[in-house]
Amino acid sequence: MRPTPFCLGVPLPSNTPVSLPLSLPGQLTIRTIAAIQEELLSALAGNGSIILDIPEDAQADLSFVQLIEAARIYAGTAGKQLSLKQPASGQVLEVLDRGGFLQDMAAEDQRFWLHERTVQ
Amino acid sequence: MSFPDPIAVFRTEAAELLEQVETGLLDLNHDLTDKEQVDAVFRGLHTLKGSGAMFGFEALAAFTHHCETAFDQVRKGIVPATHDLVTAVLSATDHMRALIEVPNGDHDAVSETLLAKLRAAVTAAGGGGAVAAPAAIAASAAPNTPAAPAAPATTTYKMRFSLPANSMANGTNPLGLLDELRDLGECRIKADQSSIPSLDMLMPTDLYLTWDIVLTTEQPRSAIDDVFIFVMDEMQLDLEVVDVPSAPAAAQPAPAAAPATPVATADPPAAPAVSSEHAPAAAKANPVADAKQAKSAENVRVPAERLDELMDRVGELVIAQSRLSQLAGVSGDLQLRAVSEDVERLSGELRDTMMVLRMVPVTHLFGRFRRLVHDLAIETGKSIELITEGETTEVDKSVIERLADPLVHLVRNSCDHGLESAQERVAAGKSETGRIYLTARQQAGEVIITIKDDGRGINRDRVRAKAESSGLITPNANLTDQELLQLIFQPGFSTAQQVTNLSGRGVGMDVVKRTIDALRGTINVVSHNGQGSEISLAIPLTLAIIDGLLVRVGNGRYVIPLSAVEECLELSVDEDMRSRGRSFISLRDSLVPFIRLRELFHTGTAPDPFQKVVVISTGSERVGLVVDQIIGDHQTVIKGMSKLHHDVATFSGATILGDGGVALILDVGHLVAEGQHQEAHLRAAG
Repeated sequence: MRPTPFCLGVPLPSNTPVSLPLSLPGQLTIRTIAAIQEELLSALAGNGSIILDIPEDAQADLSFVQLIEAARIYAGTAGKQLSLKQPASGQVLEVLDRGGFLQDMAAEDQRFWLHERTVQ
Repeated sequence: MSFPDPIAVFRTEAAELLEQVETGLLDLNHDLTDKEQVDAVFRGLHTLKGSGAMFGFEALAAFTHHCETAFDQVRKGIVPATHDLVTAVLSATDHMRALIEVPNGDHDAVSETLLAKLRAAVTAAGGGGAVAAPAAIAASAAPNTPAAPAAPATTTYKMRFSLPANSMANGTNPLGLLDELRDLGECRIKADQSSIPSLDMLMPTDLYLTWDIVLTTEQPRSAIDDVFIFVMDEMQLDLEVVDVPSAPAAAQPAPAAAPATPVATADPPAAPAVSSEHAPAAAKANPVADAKQAKSAENVRVPAERLDELMDRVGELVIAQSRLSQLAGVSGDLQLRAVSEDVERLSGELRDTMMVLRMVPVTHLFGRFRRLVHDLAIETGKSIELITEGETTEVDKSVIERLADPLVHLVRNSCDHGLESAQERVAAGKSETGRIYLTARQQAGEVIITIKDDGRGINRDRVRAKAESSGLITPNANLTDQELLQLIFQPGFSTAQQVTNLSGRGVGMDVVKRTIDALRGTINVVSHNGQGSEISLAIPLTLAIIDGLLVRVGNGRYVIPLSAVEECLELSVDEDMRSRGRSFISLRDSLVPFIRLRELFHTGTAPDPFQKVVVISTGSERVGLVVDQIIGDHQTVIKGMSKLHHDVATFSGATILGDGGVALILDVGHLVAEGQHQEAHLRAAG
């Protein structure tokens, strides 16, 4: 049973670059992380590019940031693209900060998480 | 790829935590000054609270918080540990189980009652009202070390730490630990993500991160240890002092100097800038924890149902191997025979390995009786000591699971009926404290579990009177001592004059008998007036595969468990003729009753000219089974009987033979009892 429904966008015609928005649920914590992993895996399996839409008021913990980092590795090796619709904000940004991800952050990571924004 | 449900994982972990907390409490109850147990209980409660909150068990977290607060006071020496406090928290652990099982149930009333008891216990112990005070659930392990009397010096530490992979799933919040480190002073924290695998390989609830931290603090080193107090046993922490403590009184801008030492991001842990004079300070934080971690990594948790599945497969393999052996034997192909023998050896080894995997020590089973006896002592007002022996004895896990209820009934019965009150015991010249011995040992293919008490013993006259009045036996029936004692296992039988909370309703002892019968076990009762009773349960070590003796009776084949076989004899035609009507054979000067299985099973076939007697026994009782042919030994994979046959007492199961045929497995206990009954009947008839 899929615990949380996700809203997958409508597939684009195959001759255009496939870039699918994937709306994530508001609960991005260890309680739901396994379901999110399955959704991400199946979305990445069928599409070349995924744009993650994280609700601004989403609840997030370390398991989510770790999952997204794992998804970036997966996408990189599979020749796929993964990006965030908006720069990290709210609890996701808080986790990045508290978890020590922002310290000496690589330029590529800054582009992914913050859309090259500098966090004070 | 499928992952275990985190909630189910939490429930399993929580059950183990509660068991540890309970063990700690019971140990503490024996020695109220045992600081180690106080810490263990506190840690357990803290972890339970944290993981409960993380997985959405808010009611559990809130309730556990109060118990944790109480134990925090004990830990800090604000209140002493008392028996009342231990009992209050023990009761609370039961409620925690309920809160885990039914998180959204209506628990408020029970919670409030238990917390009132807890508050009373803390107050009586001399504590304040901290338990009652509404407090935030969030852990607050911020260091509360007293400020240094003199001007504080700052020290810069460089550390690298990682937590066990399952720590998030267990409820540890690494972000909380990092926050606590930040509270200690100026802190630079960098997450090392190099161990994160690709998404398809990721166990999403596992933690793959390591942190490199540079902390400049005025707090002592112990403040850092306090941050990690709940994970210290399992974590990996490398800590070095990288800057000399410097007093601000020297008017140096020390706090600014320390952060100026950057973390070498390319090579964070390997190049500590430690001056030689401080080198001795650079040491692994916790070598004991390293060893523990290494040890825990050697164990793998496997769901019980997977073991059952594996057991089924091994069973199928044993059956297939049996068919192969038969085919190889018939074919005469030497190469096929060689392969068949190899497969037979390997499947035998696989079977033995599998059996070992399923064996678990009875420690956990016995552990729960400490709590039971503790509670029973309070309920009955008796002083009771539980002494356990042979806890390392290993038994098949499915047997252990099914033994729990019968043992609870027996221990309850011993506490309630067996042991006298303190006054009665003193009057009888015994010590005030009644003793209950719970022991386990292996003997041949069985495990013997004994429950013994030093109480008043079973009153045989009362047993007989009760059995006669309830029509279980006829007045003045001629019964052996064992038969009389076994009457206590009859349904509805109770000699207790008072019905108590614990026993005396006649429910329970018959359940014991039924369960032990279902396990193909036997019960033996010994009782001495005024000295106590001893009930021994003899249970087969496994319920899955046994070595059997395959025999033929008429056209059917049957398996007799080899562990019960004493010897095999030939029953000559003369002897057979002579014994007609008597059904006894003389075996080394003693008469052994025998049962002609051909007649018992109504085969309708003529007896073979050279019938065999297989002598089987359970303990001291023996009976011979007359069969037509002994085929040989047979690795028997036990299959349960269908529901339609569950009341057929003569057979305990069935097995599939190498040729695809079915053989029924004889229920040794039942047949021996039948034989003994027959013997008693014939003796009575003269």
